[in-house]
Amino acid sequence: MKPRSLITPLRLPDVVQMEVGDLIEITGVIYTGRDAILPQLVRELDEGRWGGPDLNGGVIFHTGVSVAGVGPTTSNKKEIESSIGPLSRLGIRLHIGKGKLSSSTVQELAHFGSVFAITPPTTALFRDRVTAQRVVAFPNEGMEAMYELTVVRFPAVVAVARNGTIWDNSGGWIGRAIPAGSAPGA
Amino acid sequence: MAGRRSLGVAERIGEAVVEASTKFRPDMLRAYARAAEAERNPTALWVEETLVANAKCSAERCFALCDDTGTPHVYVEVGDGCVLPAGFLEEVREGLRKGMDALPTRPMAVRGDEVERVGQLKGLATEPGELVPGSFLLAQCPGEAVQVTVLMLGGGPELRARTYRIFHQRSLAVVLDEVAEWANEMMPLLGCTPATLAVGIGRTHFEASSLVLKAMREGSLDCQSEWEQRLTRKVNEIGVGALGVGGNTTVLGSFLRIGPQRASGFRIVSLRPCCCMEPRRATVSFSFP
Repeated sequence: MKPRSLITPLRLPDVVQMEVGDLIEITGVIYTGRDAILPQLVRELDEGRWGGPDLNGGVIFHTGVSVAGVGPTTSNKKEIESSIGPLSRLGIRLHIGKGKLSSSTVQELAHFGSVFAITPPTTALFRDRVTAQRVVAFPNEGMEAMYELTVVRFPAVVAVARNGTIWDNSGGWIGRAIPAGSAPGA
Repeated sequence: MAGRRSLGVAERIGEAVVEASTKFRPDMLRAYARAAEAERNPTALWVEETLVANAKCSAERCFALCDDTGTPHVYVEVGDGCVLPAGFLEEVREGLRKGMDALPTRPMAVRGDEVERVGQLKGLATEPGELVPGSFLLAQCPGEAVQVTVLMLGGGPELRARTYRIFHQRSLAVVLDEVAEWANEMMPLLGCTPATLAVGIGRTHFEASSLVLKAMREGSLDCQSEWEQRLTRKVNEIGVGALGVGGNTTVLGSFLRIGPQRASGFRIVSLRPCCCMEPRRATVSFSFP
């Protein structure tokens, strides 16, 4: 599969061109956030108290950062998923995580012109894709603090974009029909 | 305990933590190879191949397979002819600490008293080994040895796992069909597919959950019963696929353990959808002459 290369911060054409199912590779600076800090980040941005980096055109990766490495956490956890719409409104153009999102979050992404991508939990391989890291906010949250990661060709698959999702809105998979007898266990 | 002679247990348990956290078992690698061969969705194939490449990198460079290195759970099987020496369980705990610090695993122990821990109000520990292991499960087995299996259980599967009653209507097929429905709800939300379904059927919630741990300790993707294959097939028909991108393999297999049952129309069933890295386990055997 030939990946689409993206450089951060993302520009409008980058976002508009992304389609569901695209394999993308991101190079540049991205930010991390998960359960503990994303609601705080939304509050600080909304209240004009945010003193961290400019997040316009930014990428948020739903992960902790620790000596064990990085890898996607479940994006449909309450505190993470509820941040996706507001952060899209506030300029985040790409959210990276894993797991199916609700139809209301999908609608928010479409409304604010942002994209959700999923990435496999390949922590060992990510070690060579993350070239630098530093805490930029919420340092008291330990591995849940907000980090700035410098990444090179960080891979992900577009799961929600302007042209739809990898899931249908009723909760089922809209993908390929599985030929009878072809699945393991058959 | 101070002054007690070391049993030499801790070092080997520490090695088991590292092995469980950095290596795919051979049956997992073979299952991934079968999945890749059957895969028709190129994106799902990319995911499956990337997961295997990650496992190879992890094993070669001794990196954690996944950043969610999990909470250690311990399954102890004591031979009929074995007497556990004093201090054995404490050395197992010490070994877990050493293994987590050595890898290192993710420092994710939550600090504070009971109330503070629930709300995560006092921050996190800084050392990986501060993570307290889950309860130890003790079982009887034939022989003179004691076998200790370390299982590293990640958070994603715990978020989706379910233990509940199912009305069996005098049929295992009815029970497993409902389990398949549970799994089909869970798979898109889990994200980290292909999964392995660990299922316990018992009389109580504790027993069913214990059977899930036993299933994860014993199960092999090379050796699937007719019922395990049936469950796997039903879930794979939905086509969620690796990472949810669609495809032929949503689950690599199923590990089913059925315990004693009671006279009633319901069974207590526990389902843990182990993620694409799991079950992460390693077993060590000890003899104490």
